[in-house]
Amino acid sequence: MSSIAITGSGIICAIGNDKQQVCESLLAEKTGIGELRHLPSRHKELPVGEVKMSDTELKQALGISPTEVFSRTALLGAYALRQTLADAGLTPESLKCKRVTLISGTTVGGTEECEQYSCGNNTKAIAELTTNNSQFSIFNCQLSTISTACSSALNAIILGTRMLLMGETDIVLAGGTEALSVFHLNGFNSLMILDHQVCRPFDATRQGLNLGEGAAYLVLERTNEARLRKANIEAYIAGWGNRCDAFHQTATSENGEGAFLAMTDAMKMANLHPEDIDYINAHGTGTPDNDKAESTALHRVFADALPPVSSTKSLTGHTTSASGSIETVICLIAMHNRFVPGNYGWKNKSAECITPSAFMPNTDLHHVLCNSFGFGGNDSSLILSDHECQNLSPVNFHLSTFTYTESELNEEEELKALREYISPMESRRMCQLMKAAFLTSLRALEKAGINKPDAIIIATEHGMFENGKKILATLNEQGEEGISPTLFMQSTHNTLAGALAIHLGCHGYNITYSQGEESLQWAIQDARRLIQEGKAENVLVGLHDEMPFYSKSIIVKKI
Amino acid sequence: MNELILELKEEIIKVLNLEDITPEDIDPKAPLFGAGGLGLDSIDALELIVLLEKRYGIRLASAAEGKTIFTSVENISKYVSENRKR
Repeated sequence: MSSIAITGSGIICAIGNDKQQVCESLLAEKTGIGELRHLPSRHKELPVGEVKMSDTELKQALGISPTEVFSRTALLGAYALRQTLADAGLTPESLKCKRVTLISGTTVGGTEECEQYSCGNNTKAIAELTTNNSQFSIFNCQLSTISTACSSALNAIILGTRMLLMGETDIVLAGGTEALSVFHLNGFNSLMILDHQVCRPFDATRQGLNLGEGAAYLVLERTNEARLRKANIEAYIAGWGNRCDAFHQTATSENGEGAFLAMTDAMKMANLHPEDIDYINAHGTGTPDNDKAESTALHRVFADALPPVSSTKSLTGHTTSASGSIETVICLIAMHNRFVPGNYGWKNKSAECITPSAFMPNTDLHHVLCNSFGFGGNDSSLILSDHECQNLSPVNFHLSTFTYTESELNEEEELKALREYISPMESRRMCQLMKAAFLTSLRALEKAGINKPDAIIIATEHGMFENGKKILATLNEQGEEGISPTLFMQSTHNTLAGALAIHLGCHGYNITYSQGEESLQWAIQDARRLIQEGKAENVLVGLHDEMPFYSKSIIVKKI
Repeated sequence: MNELILELKEEIIKVLNLEDITPEDIDPKAPLFGAGGLGLDSIDALELIVLLEKRYGIRLASAAEGKTIFTSVENISKYVSENRKR
């Protein structure tokens, strides 16, 4: 039996460039949201949570030449990761003979700079930037990129924990990074969910979210090994949940089903009761939809024993793909400094929302729950504890053998056959790649005799490349006008996994890997892991890409 | 007025990719959203907001405002003719 310890953490976001600064801002309830300064956008009316350092300053701090081209997402990631490694006291010697895995969550990830739309490249760049001109050498570590929109970073932490428990790696660096971009600022604007004032999560007058940016990472190790190297243990992972709302590409279901299931799974795994949780860091974006659905889900899980809940997004902005790790580090800071972060900006009680907590000093936090939800209904929860948790090991762990049922698309011409499965009204918004993903998935499920898979795992190198390109073209031609909301909500890498979950009504585990040519390998490995953990009997895995056009679905099933 | 209604129907079919639907299939008085009409949803409403802005220069402040306008093609046409900037 092993447990997983957090032995290092680092953060950069709108309220500080390191843990100390972030702590001071949280204590003083100082928001980092204001008028945009670094992002070249004309939308000055939209407040944002920018990191106060420019690209040039970040490059200087990382010791690289100002002329070298790196996305801001990668620069922020490397800046936070170096802090994390230093915090963990990881030296080249301590990393020797250890298998190291860097798992990073990102979605937009430098789309504009590179026009490549490949998230995996960012993770590679982060490893390179962290290693170059520094005492850290992690260039040879194994890399993985998770792209489940706004829950990416939390899912990276969950994957790292699971890999350590399975003994697949020794040291995990997990978290996420995302810089503000003209691309997603305009995209979120087209969905009409951006507040023109500083956002007010759970308030009756809330109008939407403010976008933010930043990065945060954790070092995760098996507790016994962390103790052997006399590491300082910051907290332990007690439980997690990864579920899918399977309701809508961007909106949340009325009863917050995905959020409810994710929190319930995490509580069960941690073997904790509602009254054991001392603080919840809510996803709390400030959009009318999210805060209402999350409140409903919180009431369903905690009933009369709701602990203090707050959203810290009115301080940091919604840091999208990075939010899961940024808010996990905020939870760690709160635990160590014994306070409940306040829900800045909240004034008016909303009939449909929970009443969030004000700042509370001198409060012991033993167990903390952190929520992170994303487009595509990718809802995840994580529980941190101040003492060791032994109950994490997979209950039904045993070596399984697997069968694989495949369906592959050879000719785009075949897509006409999709009509046998879905109506024109349902397929009308689908691009060619989504049609292909649906056709191969539904055919593979049919062959395997399964109506609804237990989980959905998608691998994609370039994601929804065509949709992303169309949005960039509109931005270039029309100058930040007229972005199609449909295209934007179908531009995230996890679009296919989310859409399939909606069609199949699958609330199970749902994740998207985007690690270049290794994406499929990660996806298949995760399907097997999930079955070995006893969390699924069968998993729908897909590899879908546009360059070149290719679609294949595989049902991985336990014999 | 009738010209604008036909134009709106054609635009709606185009921007919402309503395969298999012709302008004649859309009753200008029938509800666009929910059951008993075209069955459009909230994503379509956002696309219609972009359509009003791009084609007629009308900028809506919120998605909620759209809900009161996009009840039927006839209602949209009335709103457009009263508020259009181009």
